Amino acid sequence: MRRSLRFYFALFFAKGTAMVLKLIGRKGTSMPGSWAIILCPDFLGRMPRPKTVVGITGTNGKTTVANMVEDVLEDCGYDFVCNRSGTNVNTGVASALIANSTFFGKPKKDLAIFELDERSSPKILPYLKPDLLLCTNIFRDSYKRNAHMEFILDVLERYIPDRTRLILNADDLLCSSLKPQNRRVFFGIDRMPEDGEECQNIVQDIRVCPQCGARLEWEFVRYHHIGKAHCPCCEFQSPEADYRVTSTHPEQGKMTVKYGGEERDYPMPNSSTINVYNSLSAVAFLSEFGLSPDQIAASMEKLSISESRYKEEEAGGKKVVLHLAKGQNPIACSRAFENIRNYPGRKAVILFLDDYFDAAHSVENTSWYYDTDFEFLNDAGIPQIVAAGARHWDVCVRLLMAGIPESKIAHVEENEKAASLLNPAQVDSVFILYDVYTIGLANRVKEQVKAVLKDSGGENGKEDGGQNED
Amino acid sequence: MKIEILFPEFCNLFGDMSNMWYLRKCLPEAEFVETPFEAEPAFASEDVGLIYLGPMTERTQERVIEKLRPLSDRIYELIEKGACFLFTGNALEILGESIENEDGSKISGLGIFDLRAKRDMMHRHNSTFLGRFDGEEVMGFKSQFTMAYTAPGYYPFLQVTKGTGLNKKLKTEGIRYKNFVGTYLLGPILILNPCLTKRLLSDLGVPNTRLAFDSEINAAYRKRLKDFHAKT
Repeated sequence: MRRSLRFYFALFFAKGTAMVLKLIGRKGTSMPGSWAIILCPDFLGRMPRPKTVVGITGTNGKTTVANMVEDVLEDCGYDFVCNRSGTNVNTGVASALIANSTFFGKPKKDLAIFELDERSSPKILPYLKPDLLLCTNIFRDSYKRNAHMEFILDVLERYIPDRTRLILNADDLLCSSLKPQNRRVFFGIDRMPEDGEECQNIVQDIRVCPQCGARLEWEFVRYHHIGKAHCPCCEFQSPEADYRVTSTHPEQGKMTVKYGGEERDYPMPNSSTINVYNSLSAVAFLSEFGLSPDQIAASMEKLSISESRYKEEEAGGKKVVLHLAKGQNPIACSRAFENIRNYPGRKAVILFLDDYFDAAHSVENTSWYYDTDFEFLNDAGIPQIVAAGARHWDVCVRLLMAGIPESKIAHVEENEKAASLLNPAQVDSVFILYDVYTIGLANRVKEQVKAVLKDSGGENGKEDGGQNED
Repeated sequence: MKIEILFPEFCNLFGDMSNMWYLRKCLPEAEFVETPFEAEPAFASEDVGLIYLGPMTERTQERVIEKLRPLSDRIYELIEKGACFLFTGNALEILGESIENEDGSKISGLGIFDLRAKRDMMHRHNSTFLGRFDGEEVMGFKSQFTMAYTAPGYYPFLQVTKGTGLNKKLKTEGIRYKNFVGTYLLGPILILNPCLTKRLLSDLGVPNTRLAFDSEINAAYRKRLKDFHAKT
């Protein structure tokens, strides 16, 4: 697209906005891009593109993977523009490009790495035309924004350019079906001891063959529709992974990846299955980008999962774990619940599931609770669950529907009272689950929980963990 | 009593299947039949107490219409006989006249109700809803790509107090004809609205059934209504 007067007006206005925001001490990470797109709706198409543009999209894990990829490339000496401190929609991408351009918009850096919101693909991908695009997975997400997986799949199918090289999840039959004519490689994890033949989750979004409609036969199901399947009536099947995790070694923080007939170990900052996928997809992406296995492995040694997503601390000889559970995202929350169930020892769980904005101004659509596997919390190793927030009664009903005894449930409207409902003598660790927008609350409550745990040293536990307030 | 859940492997978006889990808890003696897409629905050859269909993707809608088209006369007969039906989300559109795409092309529905739906796939409608049914407040949520249009004289399910009806101009929501209920409200509407569950149980011939988690779902209902009135 040619640069028009309108484009230059939008560019200069956006740069002026960024300058003013900087002068008054505000970050303004998406405002310059917002103005640019308001003034010139096809701004991204007219903005000169860095020589190489790579992207990371998908329902879950894209932020973690983008952070890993950026950290490794930075460690390897690459200079690039990215939207890490901004938003992953079109305005965030535009802001990043504007901030890293000369007065007339020419890119200062030759490489751009963007985390891309999959729902925003129509407003980004046709303009940005990524050379390389990683799709982590396709799942149900916010009903409001993403509707359902078929809708998101159709959006990506329509807007991913034909020439974009893809890195796709072989274990996700939805993700792996994207753009079959594009050049692509797949990543996957070999069958693990805990994988089964039947889905243990409420949601499994592909059950029949998309080509002939026959019921799929699963060689194994890991969770939801993640696994390996084939159609008994036609040739449809999960693709073979090019990058395969053949084994994991959590005690050493390593995973063994097979690619091109050779096996080698790579670091994995966290051993939960979703984080093995995150690490593996980062390895595949970096390898396809052109880094050597040695470069990738050496730089990944220095990585850790962002503390805004997962953090463990100790107090009174017990653990306090902050665990992100993305609100209105049934799959992310189900994964978090399963992680808690599988965590060793006896655990208490504090749930802050309210959407921050809905809790303040509306009544949240809580339908997503019923696509979420609260049933994982119905476990002998979890003697206490505290639900706090505007929808505490709705969470209580969902927990009861999951078969959790009333005596294990405590709930309260005031978030800040959650810690006071704990019975610390019953547990070895306390999990605090929070949404992206409630990390401040989670951190405040974490300090209260730590104080409760410190005060409780040696106290005998009560058998009944349940209390509640109206 | 037999309760038939149609095509639960597909028609299960937005947590709607929870309505049937809840009914199972309220009616532990009832027989629940889950009919997969490749099977013949039980209602085709026998009378069942309740037929449930939940929301689905747009491509699935077209498959379900074709699956049920040979049974449209039987569905009409059962509705006229007073069998209970609960269709949630876009399942209602299956029984309408047509579903219109943005390009003007139309998918013919079963034509049992005079209802025409129009899709707008890039503009999803999301809203909270408050309405009235038999003098009781019903609260729910909408999240949909379509608006529906119907002829005067149709049989509305809910009167809109606040929110959007079948379309943005209409002050009524859903269809209720005899014991058929179809509504665009999605998710766990029976859990969210104990008054609706009681009414459904009454229509099913078990009016004195105690609701599962009676005190908790009523407390949650009152709190939700209180927040709705205070915040919206």
